[in-house]
Amino acid sequence: MLVNLDASDARPLYLQIMDEVRRALVVGTLKPEDPVPSVRELAAELVVNPRTVLQAYRELEHEGVLYVRRGQGTFVAPDVQPSSGEQRALALGVARRALLEARRNGLGAEELVTMIRELAAHEGEPASPTPVATGGTNA
Amino acid sequence: MSPIISERAGAGAGADCAVSTHGLTKRYDRDVALDSVDLRVPDCAVYILLGANGAGKSTALKLLMNLEPASGGTARVFGLDAAQHGPEVRAQTGYVPERHDAGYTWMTCGQLLRHASVYYPAWDHAYAARLSDALELKLERKLGRLSKGDTRRVQLTLALAHRPPLLLLDEPTDGLDPVVRKRVLALLAEHLADRPTTVLITTHHVHEVESLADHIGVLRAGRLVAQMARDELQRTVQRYRIELPDGWEAPRDLVVAASRSSRATREVQWTVVGDEREVTDRLTTAGARVRDVSSLPLEEAALALLPVETSR
Repeated sequence: MLVNLDASDARPLYLQIMDEVRRALVVGTLKPEDPVPSVRELAAELVVNPRTVLQAYRELEHEGVLYVRRGQGTFVAPDVQPSSGEQRALALGVARRALLEARRNGLGAEELVTMIRELAAHEGEPASPTPVATGGTNA
Repeated sequence: MSPIISERAGAGAGADCAVSTHGLTKRYDRDVALDSVDLRVPDCAVYILLGANGAGKSTALKLLMNLEPASGGTARVFGLDAAQHGPEVRAQTGYVPERHDAGYTWMTCGQLLRHASVYYPAWDHAYAARLSDALELKLERKLGRLSKGDTRRVQLTLALAHRPPLLLLDEPTDGLDPVVRKRVLALLAEHLADRPTTVLITTHHVHEVESLADHIGVLRAGRLVAQMARDELQRTVQRYRIELPDGWEAPRDLVVAASRSSRATREVQWTVVGDEREVTDRLTTAGARVRDVSSLPLEEAALALLPVETSR
């Protein structure tokens, strides 16, 4: 699992770490029952306070994404469903940032969604067979 | 600017603080180096004390170590009055001084490490060896012949190897090249993971250490103008994009730390210190339209509290 933090991102570091773990699950570089780096390793690698890593792991544990095997470390939960839960959480984050950026530019949600669809069609992406972030999102 | 001292961090007498000072003051003849400073460094915090050169950062650490007497006020380290219990405080503290001068110029690095190992009952020989490897200490070289950066590495090893509960690091990465700097900070992260430690780091390079920080204090000309937890700082210093009507005047006591504006579009971007809702309300009441409010990365939020001419 490769974790990247962005110093220019104003989001708290533990949230960034949580999203990176989710991303690794969604793209498949991290699978159920895989070990994640120890708090010490990840803190040293990212040069962050170990308490920040611990906070991210605890939140993910609370959400059922990770679990601790006593004396062995922290692992991805066996029943984690990246294609539903994690993907949705990631999509929500991306959508929230996009919406904020749209509003900053004086655009509404509908204009943004329409433009994303057009752009995706133009770039040849097939329509999603299982829409994940739709339903009741009319602005 | 009136100080923005978090109530959360400043509450009480600092009972659960590793380091607390009350009205700590230091005068050199007529110059006031520290002016009635109330530091609160919570137990196990990584506290970054930020300030321009000459703001009083190094003086604060020297008073905590009782290397110089205070002119007024008190400093407590783990409940001990630093002025009364200097040796006990120093025994529990790993200190990297501002000056690149480790003393004992006739000794080799290796001799100095052995010398220090006898003084600290908690000296961890295996860890000292690991640090001296990681920092590539020149053990055979005499201390008097070390470069600035090499001296820094020795000072860091001396500070960390007895695993003290408190680290006072005065510009710890000063004189180090970027690769070693990153290695030092990674070692520090490991150190914190291995043992609960309170760290007080002074710097004017906040970007180097910001990812480790959970508390921030800002010194300006000897006065502590801000002190709060990291997330609080990012909530308190935010960027507002505002549309202004013609001939608009800002509310008078609004604390604008930085501003960019474009006359052509009647739009300004202000970094404002204060509660978001309160600031927004006041701007709106005054007739401005707040387009959006965004948090700043920690470094930008912290730099906004420094005087403009010295913020880099």
